[in-house]
Amino acid sequence: MALAVSDLSVTYGDFVAVERASFEVAEGECVAIVGPNGNGKSSIAMAVAGLADRRGTVRLFGEPAPAGDPVWTVRRGLVLVPERRQLFPNLSVIDNIALGCYAWTRSLKAALRSDAVAHALRFFPQLSTRLDQKVGTLSGGEQQMVALARGIASRPRILIIDEPCLGLAEIVSRRLYEVLAAMNREGRTIVLIEENPARALELSHRVIRVQNGIVVDGARSPHGGGGGR
Amino acid sequence: MTEFGNLVLSGLTSGAIYAVLAVCLALWFRVANMLNLAAGDFAMIGALGVDLLARVHGWNLGLAIVTVLAVIALIGLVYDLIVLRIAVDWGRAREGIVAIFFFTFALSFVLEGVAQQVFGTVVHAAPALWPGNALDLHGLHVQRAGLLVIGFAVLVGAGLALCLRFTLVGKAMAACGENAIGARIVGIDSRRFRRGIFVLTAVLAGTFGILGSPITGFVYNSGAGLSLSGVVAAAFAGFTRPGRAVLAGLAIGLLEAFLSGYVSTAYGETLLYGVLAAVMLFRPQLMGLPEVAH
Repeated sequence: MALAVSDLSVTYGDFVAVERASFEVAEGECVAIVGPNGNGKSSIAMAVAGLADRRGTVRLFGEPAPAGDPVWTVRRGLVLVPERRQLFPNLSVIDNIALGCYAWTRSLKAALRSDAVAHALRFFPQLSTRLDQKVGTLSGGEQQMVALARGIASRPRILIIDEPCLGLAEIVSRRLYEVLAAMNREGRTIVLIEENPARALELSHRVIRVQNGIVVDGARSPHGGGGGR
Repeated sequence: MTEFGNLVLSGLTSGAIYAVLAVCLALWFRVANMLNLAAGDFAMIGALGVDLLARVHGWNLGLAIVTVLAVIALIGLVYDLIVLRIAVDWGRAREGIVAIFFFTFALSFVLEGVAQQVFGTVVHAAPALWPGNALDLHGLHVQRAGLLVIGFAVLVGAGLALCLRFTLVGKAMAACGENAIGARIVGIDSRRFRRGIFVLTAVLAGTFGILGSPITGFVYNSGAGLSLSGVVAAAFAGFTRPGRAVLAGLAIGLLEAFLSGYVSTAYGETLLYGVLAAVMLFRPQLMGLPEVAH
């Protein structure tokens, strides 16, 4: 199993955002976590990526992930593209993408010459003409492309992408979904956080429904033994 | 011409002092988004610590320097592990930049108090690393310690600027200051970077104190004034560009020397801060700050 989450709880002060959520994702699957806004989807993503305090256990490829350690999580191949992108606005497009490579190299030359960066730019050729432009000056859609390109440059085995189409034009959303589908065909495991179930089903093979911080449906993978689709 | 040359040398020497402190401030600000107002105190500890061990206790100079720099590194490490962990990692950063500002201010007070007890209240200087009278180059009086400080400032500023521009680790440093959560998302251990850079800048400030103390001498409370000089120069580098901080520090030193030499010795410093305030008000883009839209 690529990702196995059990009894995951996330609280902010007295507010319980996620309560004992359990679900699993097999290697090579594309799974959507759907539910209304404010029901804990993003908190699940942040907690699984090690960025939010949590209780419960998260296993990546069978290995227990330490809580609150996103660096460990990234190095094991789980990469989050968060809802607010969390880019570096005063750094250039190419610097933002190259920093995605920090998970596997400390050499700028190795990063810039890597297949990972080339791959990311092949997905988003429109970024190639803006490599030296500061990311803070790009449009929302272009920034989302940079965020996803940075995630691709990390060489993810599991990519969690939170509301990738939020606030974007339909044509940009379509392009992002095409890229995610292509990545999944290449064998990467994708976990898509999406408010809109109809849109999520365009891409995902399975839907995990979350309501009021509780997983209500779709927690078990039909590929229980792993091995991909 | 000789007077002009001596003013230039004097300006570059005092400018290099501003520059080194500005580099320390700018680098740590770039990584941690905080001003380190204790940077000058680390310089003071470097100078007075080496003086105590080498001159008073008769230690070998090299051993004294290594020991003092190790102690400075340890102070920086412990400060990060205890105080900055509480201040930043436990969420006090949400209380705003002013709360964080006082954490390094408090460290400055503590270091001053301890220094007063350990080193006393008399002005001292570490033994000169390049001993001898001032060099006389065609009538120009060149202080050996001044040359060392200028060289150190240029070397450190250029080295860090190149690191930030041309290495992935340098870009990761910048990323930590830009967006700590974003940095952690891509696998950068922003807390370890903050700790490493705090220790590095403390050691750089301490090294500067050892190199430069023969110029002015140090006393237990010299640190605060030095930190303030560094803040002014770092401000002209937008607080985040070590290479530009060196240039800003040298330029401020030169301006100060020319104002004192050609306008007024008594009001040189006042005029200097007047000019700097005017630049901040009317040309904020020179400081890396955006112009205010009307």
